[in-house]
Amino acid sequence: MGAHATTPHDGNATAALSPERVSALSDLLLRLADDELVIGHRNSEWTGLGPILEADIAFSSMAQDEIGHAQAYYRLLADLGHLPPDRMAFLREATEFRCASLVSLPRGDWAFSIVRQFLYDAAEHVRIEALATSSYAPLAALARKISGEEKYHLLHGRTWMMKLGSATEESHRRMQAAVNELVPHALGLFEPTPQDPAIVRLGIQPPESLLAAEWHRAVEPVVREAGLTMPRDPKPAYGGRAGRHPPALSELVAAMQKVFRMDPAAQW
Amino acid sequence: MPDTQWQVFEVFHQTARGEPHVHVGSVHAPDPESALILAKEQFSRRQACVNLWVVPAGAISATDYEDADMFQHGVDKSYREAFGYETTKKARAIGDMQEM
Repeated sequence: MGAHATTPHDGNATAALSPERVSALSDLLLRLADDELVIGHRNSEWTGLGPILEADIAFSSMAQDEIGHAQAYYRLLADLGHLPPDRMAFLREATEFRCASLVSLPRGDWAFSIVRQFLYDAAEHVRIEALATSSYAPLAALARKISGEEKYHLLHGRTWMMKLGSATEESHRRMQAAVNELVPHALGLFEPTPQDPAIVRLGIQPPESLLAAEWHRAVEPVVREAGLTMPRDPKPAYGGRAGRHPPALSELVAAMQKVFRMDPAAQW
Repeated sequence: MPDTQWQVFEVFHQTARGEPHVHVGSVHAPDPESALILAKEQFSRRQACVNLWVVPAGAISATDYEDADMFQHGVDKSYREAFGYETTKKARAIGDMQEM
C-alpha cells in the first residue's frame, strides 16, 4: 500500500487529521474496500449461471451492492490521499490487496457461495454497526448509509441457509461441507493488523477480537437453526491482511483488471 | 406446462405508505419467504418501495376472459364512472387525462 500513498490533500474533511490517524484509517479502509470488491467480483461470476433466473438476478444485484460499497470505501481512501477508486481496483498487484482469504476462494458450488455470502454479511453487519459510531465521521456516515442494503443481504443469506440446510440429504451435505471449510476463512476477516491498537485508541473501530466474538454470537444460532453445526475450535485462516493470499486471488485480479489495463487512460 | 419445479407467486408492490399495493409481476420460489427475498431484487431495485406482498398464484380466483362481456353496460351508466367527479374534471382540464 505504501507505494501508492501520497501526501493527503488539503480537503476540509481531512486537513486536520494527524498522520497517525491517516495511517490507521488507511489500513482499515483498504481491508474493507478490498473485501467488498473481491467478494462482489466472485459473486458476479454467478451472473447467468444461478440455479434459477430470480436467484441469479438477486445474487448478481447483491454483487453490485458490494462493489458499490467497495467504491465508497475507495473514495474515502482517495480523500486521505490515496489513488482514485478505479486505479486502486485495477492497477494494483494481487499482493497489494488486503482482503481476507474468505473472499478470494473460487466460487465453488451454490452452497459454497451462499454460505460464504452469509458468513461475510454477518461480519459486515457486525462491523458496520460498530462503525456507525466511529470517530471518523465520513466512515460513520457511510456505515449508516449501507446498513439498509446489508439488512437485506443478511435476510437473503439467512433464508437460503434455512432452506438448503435441511432441504435434502444432498443439500445438507453440501452446506455442512461449506460451513466446515469456510468458517476458518470467515474468522480471517477479523485478523488483527499492526494498526489495530491505533484504530481502537483513536475511536475508529472496536478491536477485531470483539467483532469476531459478536460475529460468532450472530452466526451460530442461524447455523444451528438451519440444522448445521459450526466446526469445533476452528483455526482462523490469517494472512490476507498481510498480503498473503490463496493463489486464486491472482487469477481473479488478472481477470478483473484485464480490460482496464489494455488502456488505463481510457475514459469510460 | 410448468417451466420450473418452483411455484409461482404474484408480486404486489407499494411505493409509499397508504398507497395501494399494485401488481407488478411474478416470481418462481419454493416458499413465501424465498419469494419475498427474490421479489425484492426483481421488482424494487428500480423504483421506490416500502412494502411487498407475495401471493401464491394458485390462491387467486379470477373471472374468465370469455365472460368479459358481463362487464359491458347494457344501457348508459356513465353517471357511475369516475369521470363524474370534480377533481377528475379539473385534471382533464389541465391535460393530465387526455386519453379519457
